[in-house]
Amino acid sequence: MLKSTLLKAVAATALSFSTWASAQAVDLQFYFPVAVGGKAAETIQGLTDAYAKAHPDVNIDAVYAGSYQDTVAKAITASRGGNPPQLSVILSTDMFTLIDEDLIIPFDDYLTSDEDKKWIAGFYPAFMENSQTGGKTYGIPFQRSTPVLYWNKEAFKEAGLDPEKAPATWDEMVEYGKKLVKKDASGNVTQWGVRIPSSGFPYWLFQGLAIENGVTLANAEGNKTNFDDPKVVEALQYLVDLSTKDKVMAPGIIEWGATPKAFFEGQTAMMWTSTGNLTNVRDNAPFDFGVGMLPKKMQRGAPTGGGNFYLFKGASDEQTKAAVEFVKWITAPEQSAKWTMATGYVAPRPETWETDTMKKYAEGFPQVLVARDQLEFAKAELSTYQNQRVVKIFNDALAAAITGKETPEAALKAAQAQADAILAEYR
Amino acid sequence: MSRPAFSLDRILNTSAAWALGLLWILPLAYAVWTAIHPAAFEARFVLTAPLTLENFVKAWQAAPFARYFLNTFLLVTMILACQFFLGTLAAYAFARFRFPGRSVLFALVLLQLLVMPDILIVENYKTMRMLDLVDTIPAIALPYIASGFGIFLLRQTFMTVPKELDEAARVEGASFMGILWKVYIPLAKPTYLAYGLVSVSHHWNNFLWPLIVTNSVETRPVTVGLSIFSAIDSGIEWSVINAATLMTSGPLLIAFLLFQRQFVQSFMRAGIK
Repeated sequence: MLKSTLLKAVAATALSFSTWASAQAVDLQFYFPVAVGGKAAETIQGLTDAYAKAHPDVNIDAVYAGSYQDTVAKAITASRGGNPPQLSVILSTDMFTLIDEDLIIPFDDYLTSDEDKKWIAGFYPAFMENSQTGGKTYGIPFQRSTPVLYWNKEAFKEAGLDPEKAPATWDEMVEYGKKLVKKDASGNVTQWGVRIPSSGFPYWLFQGLAIENGVTLANAEGNKTNFDDPKVVEALQYLVDLSTKDKVMAPGIIEWGATPKAFFEGQTAMMWTSTGNLTNVRDNAPFDFGVGMLPKKMQRGAPTGGGNFYLFKGASDEQTKAAVEFVKWITAPEQSAKWTMATGYVAPRPETWETDTMKKYAEGFPQVLVARDQLEFAKAELSTYQNQRVVKIFNDALAAAITGKETPEAALKAAQAQADAILAEYR
Repeated sequence: MSRPAFSLDRILNTSAAWALGLLWILPLAYAVWTAIHPAAFEARFVLTAPLTLENFVKAWQAAPFARYFLNTFLLVTMILACQFFLGTLAAYAFARFRFPGRSVLFALVLLQLLVMPDILIVENYKTMRMLDLVDTIPAIALPYIASGFGIFLLRQTFMTVPKELDEAARVEGASFMGILWKVYIPLAKPTYLAYGLVSVSHHWNNFLWPLIVTNSVETRPVTVGLSIFSAIDSGIEWSVINAATLMTSGPLLIAFLLFQRQFVQSFMRAGIK
């Protein structure tokens, strides 16, 4: 009792001070995660500083909040504790979770003019799939990526393949892979054909295979999954066969973090990984490399990934307006180009690619265009209500099939049943 | 007992100790290896590989570590000082005074050992917000200063102090506080040392709570600086991560090596198992 009275008294004093301070200018707090190496945090800091300089009526405080998982934990805790940020970059797939927790507001109320609507329409549709639901826009794409296929041109030459041509179909990837596998005298593999990492979040790259086979893993409302669709089973069978039947990929779970390294050291001739790696590969690969779209089965396809801007509840009208202005500014061509060049993330608006800076960049480094062109075929990353739980069920099923504990069909059937049990209440 | 059996026993013991010791040191040895060699030698062990300090330079420049070190140092000092102060007084009361509700209160203190601090994060955050302490070093420290473990440990130690010493001091005319200061605390030194080590290393390594409750460079500890290297989207640079890890845990490692004998002895005497 005494404690709470005391706390309230202190809080009241503190509050009166803070309202006095905020009367001077709009204060914005903005959380961001860092998921790529290099200068990502510094680039964001630099951009916000530049914005604050040009807009003296806004104080903007960019707060580094750890990994994506840490950031969402921090944002939820701060919101529950009555101190939400006005703006945060969080995984696009956390949209349903944040709506479910009632922590975010849609951008629509602040984007009413025709010009604003045009601005929303100016993002790649593939990125907007994870950002809109129920006719409202909850996320604005910012640090978005998509997986692509990297290949070692020297290894291709050595195996008698055309070093300028990536495998275009599933069958071609197996065929090339078989030619690329190298063994030493005692029969141990020294170079695998391809490497599709499966640790941690296998669903992401697997989703590429599923989309290529003409099926999406979840509906747009986020309340129904298609894990046991025969086409999903077929895609998983293909992935499992790569190491068990065709023997072009190392067996078992393959580490994400070690994948670029394995590529640099020639342990694999091809790898599937995020475009977030482009800058890293360019700087560190000791050979000529190519970047291609993921191979197709029925169609080309890839998931998108990465983080969106979200507006948090609890801000004043003034703050939210300022936050929307800031989001518009930082996704504008000039700023977006800087961000893409510093990190390798895909610029989310076509107009960014039309700037002179980006054109010049793409001329010297044409590989960056592959991810952009692939967006035409890209689909939303798997995202549902209760996302963490549903995705975990799916990941566990994939891991069980990859390690050979269960057949793809049995694992996916069980996963679908579990996901149904969780999602039933959202239908 | 025959001699050969004894020596066989000894050989087994020694070799098992060596095996376990090697197993324990392996990750550390790997960290040192990668940290002082260029990235190309991360997974290749060539004795003639060139040595470099570049990884440390890179790691140091990736985040404002000088400030982070200062913050961590302030944080663990603040926590330890408050824990000693509160723990000593509370333990003294529980060990030597009879007052109504003593056992209930002590049970409540012990209850704290059963609650995972992580589930209290939201409540703690609310309290810090009400106190207007969000984004300060005291906000990281406050939830931890009334440590149930510390109180329990010191109470058990104080209980083992012979009553006669207490009474003799009282006959000499010492006050309650005087007795605590002159009799109990000196006799509990090993416990303080052991508990201090556990507390410092725990708070040195704490990550989630500091990350959530702080926002600026001026208040954040080294662990938050370290997290910037876990960049999964772009592959992991083991050499730089290991350099940063060695750098951030270095002060603790060095302190442990310097005071190793005292620590081990104090653990044995304090009876923490």
